[in-house]
Amino acid sequence: MFNSEMISLVGVAFWESIYMTIISSFFAYVIGLPLGLILVATDKDGIAPAPLFNQVLGIIINILRSIPFLILLVAMMPITQAVVGTVIGAKATIVVLVVAAAPFIARLVESSLKEVDRGVVEAAQSMGASPFEIMTKVLLPEAKPSLLIGSAIAMTTILGYSAMAGFCGGGGLGAVAINYGYYRSQRDIMLVMVVLLVVIVQVLQEVGLRIAKGTDKRL
Amino acid sequence: MEQKEIMIRLKGITKAFPRKKGTLEVLHGIDLDIEKGEIFGIIGLSGAGKSTLVRCINLLERPTEGQVYLDGQELTCLSEKDLRQARRSMGMIFQQFHLLMQRTAMENVCFPMEIAGVKKAEAREKAKELLELVGLGDRMESYPSQLSGGQKQRVAIARALATNPKILLCDEATSALDPNTTAGVLELLKDINKRLGITIVVITHEMKVIQEICNRVAIISEGKIAEMGSVQEIFRAPKTQIGQELVFHEGSNREAYAGRLPYCYRVVFKGGISNEPVLGRMMIDCNGVANILAGNTRNIDGEVFGQMILQFPEDEALRKKMIQYLLDQGVEVEEVAYV
Repeated sequence: MFNSEMISLVGVAFWESIYMTIISSFFAYVIGLPLGLILVATDKDGIAPAPLFNQVLGIIINILRSIPFLILLVAMMPITQAVVGTVIGAKATIVVLVVAAAPFIARLVESSLKEVDRGVVEAAQSMGASPFEIMTKVLLPEAKPSLLIGSAIAMTTILGYSAMAGFCGGGGLGAVAINYGYYRSQRDIMLVMVVLLVVIVQVLQEVGLRIAKGTDKRL
Repeated sequence: MEQKEIMIRLKGITKAFPRKKGTLEVLHGIDLDIEKGEIFGIIGLSGAGKSTLVRCINLLERPTEGQVYLDGQELTCLSEKDLRQARRSMGMIFQQFHLLMQRTAMENVCFPMEIAGVKKAEAREKAKELLELVGLGDRMESYPSQLSGGQKQRVAIARALATNPKILLCDEATSALDPNTTAGVLELLKDINKRLGITIVVITHEMKVIQEICNRVAIISEGKIAEMGSVQEIFRAPKTQIGQELVFHEGSNREAYAGRLPYCYRVVFKGGISNEPVLGRMMIDCNGVANILAGNTRNIDGEVFGQMILQFPEDEALRKKMIQYLLDQGVEVEEVAYV
């Protein structure tokens, strides 16, 4: 079953998965990180309280998070088409992955930032720090280890979603697993794909934890 | 008498927090003047509102009513932006230090200067000086997790001084420290007050801290100032119930005398006589014995005070004679209420 053609196919799929995960994570963080910061800042006990805004934003995020990924994949097709000009392949999957992961990341970031001691924020306020300075100079740096652990979780989740996109013509390991393993009943190929996914998840998680530990000055 | 300059003036400060049902009023119309260059203590039991009061000075808590003036400038009418500017002239330290855990001691001290827009090289220079001032010249590159409690508080003090503040607010700054470390930190605060002339406001629940470093003190109870005056005055003759509680509380076994036994008096020796055996002479000369229930000596601002709780004999004539003897020796005697 593993002729050279197959091996190169798997190789391409492997890198496609990695590529989708990294690019999607990047853009999801571009959206999710500020959203998380805004959630924390506008909380009623936050540094720039805006309870009503906070609640509306929270509800929007919850709605986006509760849409099943496969439904989102289908529902977003017109938007995906408009943005990247296609609804299949890795590129198209990235668009949906970003939309699906950003609200999840916003919540992850929010919970990491909330771990920062309220007193440290108060101390910064007592020195005349503005809400923006508190975000960039206190909340983000102080929460860095926790944010890094969160990013490992986010990336593994995105990798999982990307594999799911294989059902709808998305690329990567998931597509190979479904096209060969499921539709053509080549169980051994499916097994190999699953093992590869497990390996990537393990590596991401371990690397994330190590970096987080390495940068944490509290230890 | 020379007119003292006022550094902090609180006028009719009231603070109420919204609660599910109505509001909870924590401070009720507090008026307070703190003079330039003094160390002013605010003491009260927990829940008295002292932490809220100190947060009203730099407006971390906005008072519901009333005005705050810093060196003549009204803070309560400033915009957020101007207030942030004004806060740079008010340093603050906390019970739990609140250092940035991901920054070194040096970087922590640089932090307020970063916010104030001081150039990096200049900030580092200043931070180095300050860390040396607080005795941490050799721990500049340490992270807070590598420092002891006392060292962390010293970093916090250096950080609070970084923007050359006019005042330093200390919110229970020594409450998380052991007695030895507390003494060291208080010594440092006293030294800073002398050397830099910074007005210091100390919030605490420990009379010991007040005695150690304060010039004047306000006792706050249930959101009001119960009494206020020089530390010596308050210590010698606390007028209010809460004042007496706070003064008697430490170093003496309150339970032993607090209104449980009849004929109890509180006697205060001060200055030279605390070194003489006045009590022994009284017992010999009057031919009567007094039961010592509690006692201690303290040094307040260079003056030695000894206080004791004595139980005198039941015989009224003898009792009066003994008390008169003490009064003649310049000892203050005050009856402790018997319930």
